Amino acid sequence: MASGTATNADPDQQTVRSNSVEQFYFPRPGQSLPGIPPFFGPPSSSLYLANDNEAKVGNQLEPNPSQSTDWDPQAIVSNLTFLEQKIKQVKDVVQSMSNRENQVASGSCEVAAKQQLITADLTSIIIQLITTAGSLLPSMKNPLSSNPAVRQLSNTLGSPMGFGVNANQRPSVDSKTDIPDIGKASGYEELINSLNTTQDERDELIKGPNPCGGEGSEPTPMEDHDVKESDDGDHEGENLPPGSYVVLQLEKEEILAPHTHFCLICGKGFKRDANLRMHMRGHGDEYKTAAALAKPTRDSGSDHAPVTRYSCPFVGCKRNKEHKKFQPLKTILCVKNHYKRSHCDKSYTCSRCNTKKFSVIADLKTHEKHCGRDKWLCSCGTTFSRKDKLFGHVALFQGHTPALPMDDVKRKRRERLFWTAVGGLNWNCGASSRVEDGEINEEVEP
Amino acid sequence: MSREGQKLDYAAAGGNGAGGVGIGVLSLDLLGQVLDRLREPRDRKACRLVSRAFERAEATHRRALRVLRREPLPRLLRAFPSLERLDLSACASLDDASLSAAIAAAGAGGLAGLRRVCLARASGVGWRGLEALVAACPRLEAVDLSHCVGAGDREVAALAAAAGLRELRLDKCLAVTDMGLAKVVVGCPRLEKLSVKWCREISDIGIDLLAKKCPELRSLNISYLKVGNGSLRSISTLEKLEELAMVGCSCIDDEGLELLSKGTDSLQSVDVSRCDHVTYQGLASLIDGRKFLQKLHAADCLHEIGQRFVSKLATLKETLTALKLDGLEVSDSLLQAIGEGCNKLVEIGLSKCSGVTDEGISSLVARCSDLRTIDLTCCNLITNNALDSIADNCKMLECLRLESCSLINEKGLERIANCCPNLKEIDLTDCGVNDAALQHLAKCSELRTLKLGLCSSISDKGIAFISSNCGNLVELDLYRCNSITDDGLAALVNGCKKIKLLNLCYCNKITDSGLGHLGSLEELTNLELRCLVRITGIGISSIATGCKSLIELDLKRCYSVDDAGLGALARNAFNLRQLTISYCQVTGLGLCHLLSSLRCLQDIKMVHLSWVSIEGFEIALRAACGRLKKLKMLNGLKTVLSPELLQMLHACGCRIRWVDKPLVYKDC
Repeated sequence: MASGTATNADPDQQTVRSNSVEQFYFPRPGQSLPGIPPFFGPPSSSLYLANDNEAKVGNQLEPNPSQSTDWDPQAIVSNLTFLEQKIKQVKDVVQSMSNRENQVASGSCEVAAKQQLITADLTSIIIQLITTAGSLLPSMKNPLSSNPAVRQLSNTLGSPMGFGVNANQRPSVDSKTDIPDIGKASGYEELINSLNTTQDERDELIKGPNPCGGEGSEPTPMEDHDVKESDDGDHEGENLPPGSYVVLQLEKEEILAPHTHFCLICGKGFKRDANLRMHMRGHGDEYKTAAALAKPTRDSGSDHAPVTRYSCPFVGCKRNKEHKKFQPLKTILCVKNHYKRSHCDKSYTCSRCNTKKFSVIADLKTHEKHCGRDKWLCSCGTTFSRKDKLFGHVALFQGHTPALPMDDVKRKRRERLFWTAVGGLNWNCGASSRVEDGEINEEVEP
Repeated sequence: MSREGQKLDYAAAGGNGAGGVGIGVLSLDLLGQVLDRLREPRDRKACRLVSRAFERAEATHRRALRVLRREPLPRLLRAFPSLERLDLSACASLDDASLSAAIAAAGAGGLAGLRRVCLARASGVGWRGLEALVAACPRLEAVDLSHCVGAGDREVAALAAAAGLRELRLDKCLAVTDMGLAKVVVGCPRLEKLSVKWCREISDIGIDLLAKKCPELRSLNISYLKVGNGSLRSISTLEKLEELAMVGCSCIDDEGLELLSKGTDSLQSVDVSRCDHVTYQGLASLIDGRKFLQKLHAADCLHEIGQRFVSKLATLKETLTALKLDGLEVSDSLLQAIGEGCNKLVEIGLSKCSGVTDEGISSLVARCSDLRTIDLTCCNLITNNALDSIADNCKMLECLRLESCSLINEKGLERIANCCPNLKEIDLTDCGVNDAALQHLAKCSELRTLKLGLCSSISDKGIAFISSNCGNLVELDLYRCNSITDDGLAALVNGCKKIKLLNLCYCNKITDSGLGHLGSLEELTNLELRCLVRITGIGISSIATGCKSLIELDLKRCYSVDDAGLGALARNAFNLRQLTISYCQVTGLGLCHLLSSLRCLQDIKMVHLSWVSIEGFEIALRAACGRLKKLKMLNGLKTVLSPELLQMLHACGCRIRWVDKPLVYKDC
């Protein structure tokens, strides 16, 4: 758990984050996306500000987990105050740097180097935070969904330093330390707004822009999410050069919503295909034709759609585009399964064994097919569904040996019971007793 | 009794008679040494019975014991505390309870020295008995559990507790699966010899684990398993493997042999007989990797042989000693190439090879002067010329199999008999040889095995020639030599006193008086008298009283044998283990008497006993229930015999073969 936290909180992964628009689109050489205005400069939309205010509120709430009675609030508060001071120090440094940055051309090598320095500072703070929170970790493990304070803390750990630095409201620095959801959500919103031409879609789109509230209600399990990585539909062999494809990052609400229709350009999900087609009109005039709006012809638009890959919204995840070794997900289904498996609660419990839990219902169904049929048992108690797996295990571990199924014993016992029942019948003819007297038989031979 | 035994007997008896001096003054150690030099078991017994000193010496000195009955087992284990080898394969009605009791009676240290145990065909012994045995014998090194057809994973798992086990035979333990094998290989990592022949449930997975866990393995038999090339890949990792037998593994092909050839060079003997998908190409690649291959058995698997194989074979010039190519279509040039390529051959098998000619044989043997065993069964083109060249070149010849080579005659055999004084075994079944041939063969005084089946021209005279000089004869097959009469048997027993196996089936001139002569063959163990219609209870009784060692007796279709004969067997033939009395004129009474008296009888075939009532069968079988391991009866009895009886038989490890034939009433 602690290690999971550490990876999630790795600040290195956030340093390379660029402006929020670029998060959505890495333009191929010689290609630009028309209709998307660059999103530099301070945010002007009221929506964004509202978000930020909320973030601030969250920040204020953050160091006050004293509602919980599980641990000593005094100690926690003092620890957090200490951390707050340290954060403030770093904040000052960043601020001074950003002032200079405004004068010099942004994106220079020098700035990047400075950013690295700050990253190092942040790392130390995070380590401190983790050690401080260390005592809390066990209590966070199980009641994640039931203890809101702990959940909040875990979210903080998952996106460290986000609130603190974001409070500065400097979008250029924001790229480094921003809580990802806010940045992306706002960027996303901006994009949508710029594309949006029809008012009637707003109500559907407005649903997205409150990720912070969602953050609070959406538990983020701190589990090792590498387990099912290979199962997420990613092909390790696929080596698309970065920049040769569009990276889409869906919000977790989108991912977790029971949508089945997704926009191939922005990734937004819809419950109904008709709604998607209405949405598509916002992406350009070519989607407004009668043919595009008719039922089956949607793929005419996807013909010239750029190669799209997907990023997981969970910062620190290898599938998140900020990760150094970012591995994109191939389809929206992959995103859905990956996100649920790696970053969500396992809410489906196997009704047979009552131990195995799954976050994707298909996984549960696959498991239930085999559950209880682990008939290959090792002497160490491990069971296997397949004999070759058991034998591989036995070959690997010294002294382990397959355990025999017990029904064999039962059969033998039945036989023995039968024997004792019939044992009394020792049928012998009279003639035999005569023979037994003589020592004629040769019992022994060398 | 042998001469040395008699001498000792006199000494012992005389010593005791002279007031305690003599044998008694020698130390136990010395007496033990004396006993060690006695080869015949009956001599040892005589010594044991006549002198207390010998009895004591044997008690402390005896290393090996073969027990024939269950009852004396506890006493014997107590009496011989320093046993190393225990053979329970012939022990009648041995089961878990009796084995455990005997082990318990032997006490804590009683079996501490035991290293080898043979439990072959001890189908009544299950995992409980084996667990007790393994617990009592900490130094156990070798266990033979072959042909315990009921033995499964649990039995084998019980053996796995013997961590020092080096040799294990599980042939035809039909219920053993990968799980049982895994138990053994994990429990006994020092295993050196393992045979899992006919354990059809074992798969590649099990063999793979075996190869990983038992690096000391030197000999492995996976014959008739359903394993594929994957197993050979695993086996190729065994660095010390010397012997590998994979007879009848039809899933193995050339690719597997190629994988095997990539292993280490330790392999010395390979048997790929009856592997249908192996061709000469695979063998060639196998040979390519093995510079030290000594034995190559490829019987009934090759259809043709290419130049590549022959040239590879020549690379084994210095090492190859045994080559079996049964069932192959050979040419003269191939035999010549083999003869030139493999000079060190000691054994060659060309049984049922078509195209073997005199020229081929002469070019083969021209360079192979070390040949001791030549199998030319059914090479029916060869004539006396081939025998001449064999006689000229192979002076060391010990075994010559010529079944169905009907073009040979006494002239060729004369050369063989003159030039090959070491000849120990010759098979002339269906060769149509006559008395003159036997006259020549009689020069081979070392002859142990002589097979003359279907040579109907052989008469008493020929038997007399053999008897005159072949005193060491152990096995004689006179199947359907129907010119032989009682006089021939009289002549035979005069000279060949050591005969153990005798086949007189369909020699229908033989009568009770002939069997009376056979009664003097004390060492006779196996006697087949099928369809000797003239013999009666009188003849059987003289055999039963005379041939004390008799283990197997076949009386099928001896229509005149009746209850009197069975009674004689019941009273005298205590070592009898296998008996066939199908078609005999016996009644329920005789059968009951027989089955209740013979305490070693384990296998009885009694089909078409039309005089025995259902009650007779029922009572007789109940009397013998715990001992019987194999039974052959008419299918009609299956429904009329009580189900309890059949269940009981099954529970004791007895297998019943039901013969689906109508009951035949034979009136004499």
